[in-house]
This record gives sequence, C-alpha cells and structure tokens, in this order.
Amino acid sequence: MSDGGGENVKEGENNLNHLHSKKSRSRADDFGLSIAKVAVAQICEAAGFQGFQRTALDTLSDVAVRHILEIGKTGNMFANLAGRSQSNVFDIIQGLEDLGSIQGFSGASDVDHCLLGSGTVREMVRYVGEAEEIPFAYSLPGFPVLKEREPGRTFEQTGGSPPAEHIPPWLPVFPDPETYVSLHKIDEKMAQIWEDEVGGPVEKRRELDKTFANLQQRMACNGTQPSVEVDFGNEAKEKGLVECNPFLTPPLQHGEKEVSLVLPPAKLSDEVFLQSANLEVPVSHISAMETFAPGIEAVKSGTFDFEDGRKKVPLNGRPNVRFKLGGGKRCLRVAISSQNQGIDKNSTWFRNDDGMDDKKRRVEQILKPSYESAGTDSLVN
Amino acid sequence: MNATSQQQGQGQQQHPNIEGRHDDDAALSEFLASLMDYTPTIPDELVEHYLAKSGFQCPDVRLVRLVAVATQKFIADVATDALQQCKARQSAVIKDKREKQQKDKRLILTMEDLSRALHEHGVNVKHQEYFADSPSAGLDPVSRDE
Repeated sequence: MSDGGGENVKEGENNLNHLHSKKSRSRADDFGLSIAKVAVAQICEAAGFQGFQRTALDTLSDVAVRHILEIGKTGNMFANLAGRSQSNVFDIIQGLEDLGSIQGFSGASDVDHCLLGSGTVREMVRYVGEAEEIPFAYSLPGFPVLKEREPGRTFEQTGGSPPAEHIPPWLPVFPDPETYVSLHKIDEKMAQIWEDEVGGPVEKRRELDKTFANLQQRMACNGTQPSVEVDFGNEAKEKGLVECNPFLTPPLQHGEKEVSLVLPPAKLSDEVFLQSANLEVPVSHISAMETFAPGIEAVKSGTFDFEDGRKKVPLNGRPNVRFKLGGGKRCLRVAISSQNQGIDKNSTWFRNDDGMDDKKRRVEQILKPSYESAGTDSLVN
Repeated sequence: MNATSQQQGQGQQQHPNIEGRHDDDAALSEFLASLMDYTPTIPDELVEHYLAKSGFQCPDVRLVRLVAVATQKFIADVATDALQQCKARQSAVIKDKREKQQKDKRLILTMEDLSRALHEHGVNVKHQEYFADSPSAGLDPVSRDE
C-alpha cells in the first residue's frame, strides 16, 4: 500500500486546480482556513519571506489543511486495518511515511524496518531540535462550538395527551395552531388596518414580512412555545425592514405560483372596492395603495387570470387587487419593486423604481381626470 | 502491528534487535515528551478540528502535537524551496541587468515559486496566467471587428 507511485497519484488527485473556482467550494470551513492562513504566514515569515501574494497564501494554507486531513485519514485507515478504532503513534508514523514517500526519506526502501526508527521520525526530531519555536499569534477557543439544543417538549412533559391514538406520548408536542393555520385572521386584520391607518403601504409589507418571519422562526425553532402576536399597529416600522429575511418568507403552497400583483383601473376600482371591502378609503389614497402588496396575497391566492383583463376583485372581504389604466405598467413596476424580499422573480422582471414613487403619485393625482376619460388602454400583465 | 511482524521475520537476530528497538522506543517516547515543551505554530485546536473531521480518533495530546509538527515541517520545507526559487530568480535578473540594487527587493511568495516548490512535494497547482474580460481581448483589431 505504501509505494511511491500510488502515493503520487493520491497526491496528484489532491491537485488544486479547482481551488480557483471558488463557487464550487463550500464556505463552511472559513474559520479554520483563516486560522491556517495565519499559521502558515508565520511559518513562511520565519523561513525568510517578507511578503505574500494573497492567492499564494490561500493555496499554501489550503495545502496545509489538506495535509492535516491526509494524515488523519491515513492514520485512521491504518488503525482500522489493524482492527482498532482509535489510532496510535504507529498509525501516524505509517501515514507520515506514506506522505513522505514522494520526497523520500532515509530508510524508505527498507520494507521491514521498525517504525520506531523510521526516517520520518528522525527528520522530525531533527527539525524540532533545529527550528525555533514560533507560537501562534492568537489564542484560540476550542472549536467548533456545539450549540446546545434543548429537545422539544413532549406530550408527557406538557401533561397533555396526544390528540390521536396513533401518536405516542414521548413525541414532542405539535406547534401552536396559529402558526400554520391559514391566514384569514390576518386578512381581516389587514382590512382593519386599511380602515385605521392608511399610511405607508410599504411599512405594511414590512410588518407582514416581519410577522411572517416571526411565524417561520417559531415554526423552525425547537422546543419553544410560540406565542402568536400579530401586532399590526406596530410603531417601530423601521425595524421591520431589518427583520425581513427572504429565507424566512413562507413557502408557496402546492399549486400556487408567484404572480405579479395586478392593479385594477382606478375608476372602476373605486366603486367596486368600496362596495366589496366596505371601506371608506379616501380617493386620494387610491394611488398610494398600489404598492400595497401583501406577501399573503400572492402566496395564498391562486393564479390570477390575466386574460380576463380589467379587473379581478375577489369579493370575499380580502384586500383587492387593483388595475391601473395608462400608467399601469409603471404602477405595477413600482408595486412589484416595492415587494422587496419575498417575490424575487418579479423584481427581476421590472426595474427598480422606488425613487419615483412620490413623484409618480403626484403625477397620477394630477392626471386622474384624464385617466377616467381615456379609453381602454393596454393592460399590464 | 509492525513491531510484532518484524519480530517474526527476524527470529534469529532478535537479541540485538530488541535492544535496538528499546533504544528507538526510548527515543520516540523522549521525543513525544519533548513535544509537550515545543509549541508548534499550528495551534492544537485547529489540528484537532481537522483530525476529527477526517475520522482520526485519539485522546492523546502528544499525537496531536506530532501531527502539528509534521505539518509545520512540511510547510517549512515548501517555504524554503519557494524561497530558493525566488532568490534564484532574483539573482538571474541581476545577472541579466547587472544592477546590484535589485538585491534589496523584497522576497515575496508568488504563485509561480509556490507551484514549483509544491510540484516537488507531489502537489500540482496550476494558476491562471491572466483573466480576460471578453473573448476578443488581446486580439488584432481586424479580427475584433469581425
């Protein structure tokens, strides 16, 4: 097993050709790699170098890490070969002989020699005797740090009995129903909010995202009892954006598609909107509501029928989708672009026009009468 | 293990070999003990992490130090080889240009020297010479127009 040719092939397979395509490398090991870089830089500095190219340092530190991994692998292999699970010094020396057989060491050709007198060990003894001691520059904690996860609370622990016979009591309890039940309650609250405060639709979106993020986090976290607080009247709106996490937005249900929001024509939507949703929204705010794009809408409802065209007003008390004539494309673009995180596909279809929001609203309000007199315009998709 | 197999292989010459092995044994245990005094540059936590990652199990700290020293020696060898390459290139430059001020230039570890040094140790590193931003970069203007 330990011939120079075989080892060469093994090392050759370790070639670093793919090192430079960083996309394919996993980034999970960054901490260890950066520590290795510091250590390798210290060693090279002691050898006499005064500077490094960054890629050269990266490469050499990667080689050092692979060297450690290789010794570990061969040591483990030799131990397993001898029928042991724990390695000892002889396994390491055999591994070192394997790795050193490329350059060669004294006594390599002597197949039957005792490992204790191996040439590799002698060279290492010599190296330790000659080289000066360079301690590592930083003090390290033990890593990786294992996160303590508390196990989920079981049915037995909470004292309740499982809801059905087939569920054994030693399993963890089900999550709070509010975390996964459909969001009609939230829709009603949304309608309530429209009535109460019609300021800043973008903040609504952020609040919703924050709520969803909370829900997702609660569903994902282990062993905690979630308390669902749907606080829509939250005053801290600015932090909503910070807490929005695109990875925590709720997933699409089966069969749903992420579709762009459709805004009905302004004049039609006034009457229908007020009728169906029964809200007293002032007319001047209609153009502002174009940016109301709850993630709920696009996620929970099915595909919108764009061929139908002009208006699509669900009459079930949920917030409506509204068309806009004329400037519809730009409105939609603004609407889509302001759905910042969750619906990434749409944001790539349209350019980001956030800066034009206010200006556009003013323009629309000015041009409103002209819209009403306009004929059927081309509709947005 | 190797010790026992050697014992079987060389049955008649056991006596001097046993003594030799005892010496080697003592030397190795002395070496391992001395490792506890010598602090290798590669920290123990890092080595332990990667050894655990590769499946190597050993509770003995001296073996961890042994692996650290082995890796440090390997990197030091590569670094000295690369340094020799760098110095050789600098002296060649000086010979061509005959400017002795070139000797003051800093010694920098470059990918070229490193790949040559690593090649001797069995690691093949290939490095991009340059990157072009378009397929027609560097071509003649005639062909670029096409």
